[in-house]
Amino acid sequence: MNEDTAAASAAQSRVGKKPDTSEPTVTAKRAPIIVCRKIVRSFWRAKERLDVLDELDLDIPEGSFEALMGPSGSGKTTLLNLIAGLDRPTAGTLTVAGTEVSAMGDAALAKWRSQTIGFVFQHFNLIPVLTALENVELPLLLTSLGSSERKKRAQIALRVVGLEDRMHHRPQQLSGGQEQRVGIARAIVHDPRIIVADEPTGELDRKSADDVLTLLERLNKEFDKTILMVTHDPAAAERATVVRKLDKGKLL
Amino acid sequence: MVPVRYNVRNLLVRRTTTLFAALGVGLVVFVLAASLMLNEGLARTLDRSGSPATAIVLRKGSDSEMPSSVEDRAISLIKVAPGVKQGADGQPMVLGESVVVLFQDLANGKGKSNATLRGMPLDRVQAFRPEVKIVEGRMAAPGSDEVVVGTRVVGRFEGLQIGQSIELRKARAVKVVGVFEADGSSFESEIWGDVEYIRSAFGREASVSSVRVKLDSPAAYDAFEVAVERDKQLGLEVMPELEFYSKQSENTSMFIVAMGSLIAVFFSIGAMIGAMITMYGSVAHRKREIGVLRALGFSRSAIMVSFLLESVMLSIIGAVLGTIAALGMGLVEFSMLNFTTFSEITFQFTATPEILVRAIVFGGVMGVLGGFLPAIRAARTPPIEAMRG
Amino acid sequence: MTLTSLSIKNIGHNWLRTILTVVGTAIAILSFVLIRTTLSAWEAGVDNAAQDRLSTIHRVTFVMPLPKRYFDEFNGARGRIDGVDVATFVNWVGHKHPVRETEFFATLAVDTATYFDVYPEMSVAPDRLAAWKENRQGAIIGEALAKQFGWSLGDEVTLLGTIYPGDWKYRIEGIYVATKKSVDRAQFLTHWSYLNDSLPEGQRDMIGWVASTVTDASRAADISAAIDTKFDDQDVQTRTMSEKALTMEFLGGASAILGALDIVSLVIMGIMMLILGNTIAMGVRERTHEYGVLLALGFRPKHIATFVVGEGLTIGLLGGGLGLLISYPLVEQGMGRWLEENMGAYFPYFSIPTSVAALALGMAVVLAGVAALVPAYSASKLDVITALRRIG
Repeated sequence: MNEDTAAASAAQSRVGKKPDTSEPTVTAKRAPIIVCRKIVRSFWRAKERLDVLDELDLDIPEGSFEALMGPSGSGKTTLLNLIAGLDRPTAGTLTVAGTEVSAMGDAALAKWRSQTIGFVFQHFNLIPVLTALENVELPLLLTSLGSSERKKRAQIALRVVGLEDRMHHRPQQLSGGQEQRVGIARAIVHDPRIIVADEPTGELDRKSADDVLTLLERLNKEFDKTILMVTHDPAAAERATVVRKLDKGKLL
Repeated sequence: MVPVRYNVRNLLVRRTTTLFAALGVGLVVFVLAASLMLNEGLARTLDRSGSPATAIVLRKGSDSEMPSSVEDRAISLIKVAPGVKQGADGQPMVLGESVVVLFQDLANGKGKSNATLRGMPLDRVQAFRPEVKIVEGRMAAPGSDEVVVGTRVVGRFEGLQIGQSIELRKARAVKVVGVFEADGSSFESEIWGDVEYIRSAFGREASVSSVRVKLDSPAAYDAFEVAVERDKQLGLEVMPELEFYSKQSENTSMFIVAMGSLIAVFFSIGAMIGAMITMYGSVAHRKREIGVLRALGFSRSAIMVSFLLESVMLSIIGAVLGTIAALGMGLVEFSMLNFTTFSEITFQFTATPEILVRAIVFGGVMGVLGGFLPAIRAARTPPIEAMRG
Repeated sequence: MTLTSLSIKNIGHNWLRTILTVVGTAIAILSFVLIRTTLSAWEAGVDNAAQDRLSTIHRVTFVMPLPKRYFDEFNGARGRIDGVDVATFVNWVGHKHPVRETEFFATLAVDTATYFDVYPEMSVAPDRLAAWKENRQGAIIGEALAKQFGWSLGDEVTLLGTIYPGDWKYRIEGIYVATKKSVDRAQFLTHWSYLNDSLPEGQRDMIGWVASTVTDASRAADISAAIDTKFDDQDVQTRTMSEKALTMEFLGGASAILGALDIVSLVIMGIMMLILGNTIAMGVRERTHEYGVLLALGFRPKHIATFVVGEGLTIGLLGGGLGLLISYPLVEQGMGRWLEENMGAYFPYFSIPTSVAALALGMAVVLAGVAALVPAYSASKLDVITALRRIG
């Protein structure tokens, strides 16, 4: 308990140290990279239509680090899935990184994801039979890079997350925090413009969670990645530059 | 493409179920390879019995030597036909042989079977079949009641050890004096004795079953055939010896291949279901993993190919194991009734590179078929699975 | 709810896999039944062969004929043999269909006066029999053969000679039906006297074998010995044995194939066990967490093992039952009918023996139980904590 609060306040103080002026200017000046217009996403449960997202409008400027919060069932993961190109809206237009993803076919969408989006998952989702290095290298297999170049880039990504010494370990030989950092390395190795993170700290203890959040902050600041993070964790949300709240399919 | 080592390691991680499914495929491949090897062994054994530039003369309409009969006076006509080679002794190379099957007790006590007894002019055998070698005892003396037995039958039937004898009729026995080898040909499944002694024992004087003729060259065959078959009165039929032997194995070989293939096809359904179960299990177990691959941008076809590949690898493992086991069968001798001649022939399971390749390819095809539906299911996994808890 | 019903419910846990496993098992059972039925059909020849009918053949080789006068020693023309009721003789002719040369059937030149007395289980209408006896070139054929080649009464048929060269013309005078399944229903029966008269001088008056019925089946061995003693001082000696003994000896030649089929039928059982074991092992893996919960609730490892084995037995029973269910129409109606009609000479009697059906079902259940043993053992060795921790 004590440790947790201590960690949380430490995190807060770090947030406090951020230069206050930089954020608003960045968000204000830069063009939106994610544009949602009247997005509807409906599901049918036993013939009953359920609008998880209801004519939602949202602009996210490039280079921001946004947290999406809300009670479960509020539609935040659905929104994240749509923005990440894993799913398509029932109605409305969705433009991400200059591409209208709501109008794309499966194959085109897969290709687009592989170039534009980096994923960080709640359950890390590393392939258990592959080593850390091989997991990180995975997205690069969809590029035309040669094998030595792929390996080099994967090593660099692991160095960024501080796990270069663990590159030949399998996921089960790593701690949860380490696994998530490998997950982040995999999310950045192909240099996507946007990183989506679904409860990235959900499975982690406070200390590991803070490390992961710090890493995401760095990616946002140093590498100018636009980060969209769904979270329940207020401590995680505090690290974001913008926190948006979603309830019953609408932004508050 | 999804890296191959991803598949290899997944197979290794699930090694029990991989092994179960692979062994199922292996057993099918084993049955297929073994029956092809059996067929090959039979064909080789019979093929070795024939030599080029040799013709065989039989009664018209006879499939084999046993029901055929050629009268002695026909032999003298054959001797002067065109193209007949002259031996070193100045005699035409023509060999009249009397063939009967003996219904003998099997040495293993499991009933009786037919052994071929071939009577021939023993003094001319060496010139005709130089590959024949006595490996034990001595050659039977021409004009005597002695016989030599082939290596493959010596232990197969009762009464064929050196010093033992078989009675052909009252007070007409043949005595075993030696064992011979004949380069792995079907002759090794026979008993050889003097033609005069044997045919008189069965009251078949003045005729033989078949006549073999060495020709000057393979090119001389056509003229020889025309000359012998021209005389309709004689009612004879000429065939190249090689063709004769391949015809001898035709029925039996068809039976072996048909039965082997039928069984393999039947069984492969079972083994494919085994592979399918394993692959479906694998797909279900790795749903989230597949979702992640899809989220990262791997296409449906890449996932499909990856799972098909995994299924093929699994079956190839089985196929290789099955083939190795089948190779082990190469050490086993197999005796069966040749349906055409009604006599027993002993041969070995014989592997050829072609058979091995065919067996392994068959296993691979089973992997493709068995893995197809699971691979489709894998490919259909939506990327959103990656986000599910 | 009982423990058994829980283990049966588990089978519904993964429907697709259960169905695949049951189908796989059923196909294995079908193959097993098919092979075993073929084997027993082959052997049915032995079981159904008469014990009270003797065959007298050349002692050394069945390809050599006996003098016709030997037969006269049986029927009273030159003597009688004590204990022999009626006798007939047969010559193997070996004709072939002129076009469909590969389709084997037995052509026999028989003694028209006595043949059907010795083989009462071959039944032919009296007027047809009389007509056949009248016509030297007449033939009586089996119903299966008639169907095979589309021959009917009154047809003129030309067959191709092999042992006896030339074209042989016959007229179908009668068609016999079998009153017992052991009878070859594809024989082509011609007059021996017609054959004999057509042969050159030196080859005449020879017969293939003598068949005789005995008055008392229990004395068959003694009577056989008496027959052989009678001809012992002759040039050609004989060997006499019951039809059953002869058939058994002939099967010796096929023993290698029978043995191979035997092994193959075991191989399919091996494949079946692998499929079953695989399914059960996968089910256990997936339900590790569930088993952990059961253990935590206070179930004992032996209960877990019982679930697993119970599941295996149920799947085995389902697969075995389904296998038998499809075997009967496929093997008996489809294949059996076809074989009896087209290859009646080899398989006069093709139906699934009860013992094979029982064995198949028993094997399915027992092997399923055995296949479940290893997964059951490992499931019973589960530690509650690890089992609960493992998901999926």
